[in-house]
Amino acid sequence: MFVKFPEGEAKRTDPTTAGGVVYDAVIVGGGIAGALIAARLGAAGKSVLILDAGPAEDLTLRGYESYLDRFYSATNKDNQSPYPVNPNAPMPRGTDARRIFPGVPDSSAYIVQSGPFATDTTYTRVLGGTTMHWEAKTPRMLPEDFQMRSLYGEGADWPLTYEDLAPYYNEAEYEIGVSADVDDQSYLGITFDDDYVFPMQGLPLSYLDQVVARDVDGMPVELDGVQRELRVRPWPQGRNGVPNPAYNGGEGYVPEGAVSTYQVEVGERCQGNNNCVPICPVQAKYHAGKTLARALQNPQVHLVGQAVAYKVHVDEHTGRVTEIEYRRYDKPDSAHFTTERARSRLFVLAANAVENPRLMLASGLRGSNGLMGRNFMDHAYLLAWARLPEPAGTFRGTNCTGGITELRGGRFRRRQAAFSVDIHNDGWGWARGAPMSDLADLVDAGGRYGESLRQGLVDRVSTQLLLAFMVEVPANPSNRVTVDPAYTDHLGNMRPILTYDIPDYTMRGVAYARQLSKRIFARLGAEDHTQYDPSFWGYAVYGGEGYEIRGGNHLAGTHMMGHDRSMSVVDKDQRSWDHENLYLVGGGSMPTVSTSNVTLTIAALSLRSVRAMLDQLAKESAPIRVTSEARAQGLPREVTL
Amino acid sequence: MIETTINDRDDLIKYLHKAMVLEHATIPPYLTAYYSIHPTTNSDAAHIIRVVAVEEMLHLTLVANVLNAIGGTPDLTRPDFVPSYPTYLPDGERDFVVDLRPFSPEAVETFCKIERPALAPDGARLMPASSTATPSLVTSPTREEMRFYSIGEFYAEIIEGLQVVAAQEPDLFCGDPARQVRPEYFYSGGGQVIVVSDLNSALRALEFIAEQGEGLDGGIYDKEEELAHYYRFRQLHFGRYYQKGDSPHDAPSGPRLDIDWDAVYPVKVNAKLADYPVDSELAQVARDFNAEYFAFLGLLDTAFNGKPSLLLDAIWYMFRLRDGINRIIRNPLPGSGGLHAAPTFEMPTAVDSAPGASRGTDEAARAVAR
Repeated sequence: MFVKFPEGEAKRTDPTTAGGVVYDAVIVGGGIAGALIAARLGAAGKSVLILDAGPAEDLTLRGYESYLDRFYSATNKDNQSPYPVNPNAPMPRGTDARRIFPGVPDSSAYIVQSGPFATDTTYTRVLGGTTMHWEAKTPRMLPEDFQMRSLYGEGADWPLTYEDLAPYYNEAEYEIGVSADVDDQSYLGITFDDDYVFPMQGLPLSYLDQVVARDVDGMPVELDGVQRELRVRPWPQGRNGVPNPAYNGGEGYVPEGAVSTYQVEVGERCQGNNNCVPICPVQAKYHAGKTLARALQNPQVHLVGQAVAYKVHVDEHTGRVTEIEYRRYDKPDSAHFTTERARSRLFVLAANAVENPRLMLASGLRGSNGLMGRNFMDHAYLLAWARLPEPAGTFRGTNCTGGITELRGGRFRRRQAAFSVDIHNDGWGWARGAPMSDLADLVDAGGRYGESLRQGLVDRVSTQLLLAFMVEVPANPSNRVTVDPAYTDHLGNMRPILTYDIPDYTMRGVAYARQLSKRIFARLGAEDHTQYDPSFWGYAVYGGEGYEIRGGNHLAGTHMMGHDRSMSVVDKDQRSWDHENLYLVGGGSMPTVSTSNVTLTIAALSLRSVRAMLDQLAKESAPIRVTSEARAQGLPREVTL
Repeated sequence: MIETTINDRDDLIKYLHKAMVLEHATIPPYLTAYYSIHPTTNSDAAHIIRVVAVEEMLHLTLVANVLNAIGGTPDLTRPDFVPSYPTYLPDGERDFVVDLRPFSPEAVETFCKIERPALAPDGARLMPASSTATPSLVTSPTREEMRFYSIGEFYAEIIEGLQVVAAQEPDLFCGDPARQVRPEYFYSGGGQVIVVSDLNSALRALEFIAEQGEGLDGGIYDKEEELAHYYRFRQLHFGRYYQKGDSPHDAPSGPRLDIDWDAVYPVKVNAKLADYPVDSELAQVARDFNAEYFAFLGLLDTAFNGKPSLLLDAIWYMFRLRDGINRIIRNPLPGSGGLHAAPTFEMPTAVDSAPGASRGTDEAARAVAR
C-alpha cells in the first residue's frame, strides 16, 4: 500500500486566512502524536490545523532522497545528518554535547545545558518529527511500569494501567505497522488478547544475535534473591516484514511503503539495510510522514509549515486557551517572519517532552503547581563492547534485531534501576564510530589499500559486539526544562534550558549492567574492549568506577499525567488540569520511562486521548467567543529580526 | 484468426517455459540501464525503470506458479535460458532487437517496444515468421514458423490454450501446492503474487501479467489502477508524467519529469567478455559477476522447484548483484574510446573457463543448501 502526499498540501493553507477560522483542533507538531491525532479527528469529521516548525515542503520521494543523499555524503552520520540545518527551527544534535563545568551552563548549542550531567539527547524538527530518525523498536511497557511507586517505592504511578492502555497498544501497532510474534513478546506480565497477532510476523534474529544466543540463552542470573535465565529475544519493530495472514481475525495486513508522489513502489518490506538510524533508504521503517500523508487526504485537515509556536494565549478568567501565536518564517535561511494566530476549540501540543514545556513556560504558564517542565526523563545508555572469538557477521541486518529483556522488571527495582539490553548489529559504531574509525585506522595507521583494505575492514568489524544497556531514569522534579529570556533562538523563541542529573538509583543499575556485560563477554569468550574515557562529556563516577553515559532521545516526564491535579500537569487523557481545552500529548505525559523505547507508548496514549477530545468537542458545541484582545491582535504583523 | 497452437499440457508447458525465458530476458536490459545512471541523479527515470524491473520479477514468479500448478518444472539454468544480447525477444518480434544499453533515448525506445500494447494487424495474433514487413517479437514454441506481434498476444495465446486444455484435461492442475510461491515470499510494489491452483487463478495470473505490461482494454492503467509498463516508459520519452484521465493516444499531461541524459555512465552496448583485456582485473570482475548471476538463477530455480522460502535469501543476493554491477560499470573499458565496462550476462557453461563455471555451480549449490 502506498500513500501519496497530496500535491501542494504543504503550502495550500494560507496562514492568515487560517487565522480567521476557528478549527475544532489546532495541533502543534507534525510528529507521530500530532499526525495520529490529526488523522483520527479528521476521520471523525473534525476540522484540524497542524502547525509544524519544519520546512513547508510536501513529502515527496525526491525530498526523501535529498535527505538520503545528505546522509550518504555526510562525514559525521549522526541522527540529524540527513536534515538541513534550519536556524529557525533548530535541532539539538548528538555532536553538541560538551562536558559541563559546575556553574557554567553550556549554551553553545540549541539546548542550553546547565548540567550537572551533559546529555547528547536529540529530536528532529521536520515533518514526521523524530520518527524521521528513530530506530523503530516498539516494545510495550510492562504492567509493573505503571505502578512503580506503589510496587517499588520509586518514581511515580500512572493514572492508567497496562490493561487500560492495551487496546491502544493494539491500535498503535496497527498504525505503525509492527513486526513481531506474540510468543516472543509475552514476558514479565505483558499479555495480549487471546486472538491477537501482530500485523506482521517477527523479523528474524541476525546471525550475530544467534551467535550471542548460543552462549547466553540459559545463562543464570540471580538478582535480589530471584533466579532468572537470560535469553536473546527478538525486538518488536516498526518496520515492514512478512504480513501476518491471521491479523485482525484473518483479514490480514497490507504493509505501507514509501510516501511518494508518483508511481514509485518501494518499502513494503525491510531489506536489512544497516542505516535504520537515522534514515531507512526505502521507507520500510515507519515514519510519521506516512500517517500525515493519510491525514491530509482529508480536506478538513490543514497544514501550515514553517510555523514555530511562540506563545499560548490563555483567557485569564476561564483558563481556557484562546489562541496560539506563532512565527511563520518565510524561508529556512532567512530570519524574516510574520506573526500569525491559530484558533480552535481544542488545542493540542504535540511538539515533544522538551518543546511542549518550553512553549508553555515561554508563555508564562508554569502551572498552578509549578510542575511544568519538571520530572524530565530520558534513558541512560551504558555501552559495553568486546571482540568475539569468531566472525559473527556484524553489520548485517537492521541496526538492532535482538536483545535481552529479563532485567526489565522485578523486585530488584526497589533498589536499582531496571534495563533492557540491545545487541547492536552495527558493531562498535555507537561507542567508537565503527566502521568509519576502523577504515581511517587501517588507512592512516596501517597503510592499507585495495583488496587488503577491504579484507582488513571485514576482519575488524565482523567480530565486533556491542551491548547497549538502556537503563531507566525515574522522575525527579529537579531534572527539568526551563526557559530564560537571556537565551533565545533566531526567531526570538526562548530556547530550552535543561537541568539534568543521573540519580544513584540509575547508577546502581548502570554499575550492575557493567558487571553483567563482563559476565556475558566471558561466557562468549569475547575480549572486553570497553574503556570509559574520563574526558567524555557524559562521564559519570559511581562507587569509585567511571562510566560513559549517553542519552537515548527517549524524552519523557515534563508534563506528567496523574490522578491528582496538585501532583501532575495533565490527567489520564493528557488534558491539562489548568486549561480545560488544552491537551499536552507525548512522552511528557509519561510518569515513568521504564525500559521501553517511548514511541509506541506515545502513539497509544495519543490514540487514547482522541476519544476524550471527541467527547469534549461533542459536549462543548457552543460557538466559541473570540476575546476582544485576540481580535485586536489578529492582524498579522511584519517583523524582521 | 488462425487455429490455436496449444492443444495439450505439453504444448502449454512449452509455452510457459518460453514465457519464463521471455520475462527474464527483459531484466538484464533494465538492470543495465538502471545501474548506468549516476547515483543520486535521474531519480524519476531510475524509479520508473526499477519498478518495471521488479514487476518483471513478479511476472517471472507468476509464470512459475502457473507452470508448477500444471505439473511443469521451471528451469532457469538451462543453457539457452539467458539470451545472448543483442537478441530478438523469444516470442518472436523481429522488427527490433533488445540490447544491453546505457540509459538513453534509444534504450527507452526499446523498452517501449518490449512493452508495447497488442496491436497486431487484422486482429491476427500469430503471423507467419516470414512476414518481415510486419513487426513481431515472440515465436511460437509449438509452430516454429509462427511468431507474435507483442508479449500481450503471446499471453493471449496461452490464456486461450489454457482454457482449451483445461476443458479437455480435468486433472490439468495437478501440481503440488507446496511448490507455489505465496505472498509471504514475494512482495513488490506492483501487485501481489497470485497462488495458482485452478483455471481461474491461472487466468488471473496471466491476465495480470499482460495488463501490467500494456494496460487494460487499450487504456493506460491496469485493473489495480497502476500505470502499465508501456506508458511508464513513454513518460521518459515525453519528459512528463501521465495522470488519471489521460488517453493512450495523447501525450501525458501530468507534472514534468526531469531527465539528464548525460548523468549516465556511457557503458558499451552489448559488452562481451571478449571485449575485456585478457587477464585484466576488470575481466575477472566481469566473469565473477556472470558466475554470481548464474548462481542467483540457480537459487531462483531451486526456489521455484519446491523451496519458495529461498526467495527470502534472494533479497541479499540481489544486493550482491547490485554491488557486482556497480563494480564493473564505474570503470572505463580499455581500448573502447572512453566507453565504460558493463556486465555481459554471458552465463558460464562447461566450455567456459573452469574456475568461473565451477564457482557458479558451487555458489548455487551452497546457496540452496542453506
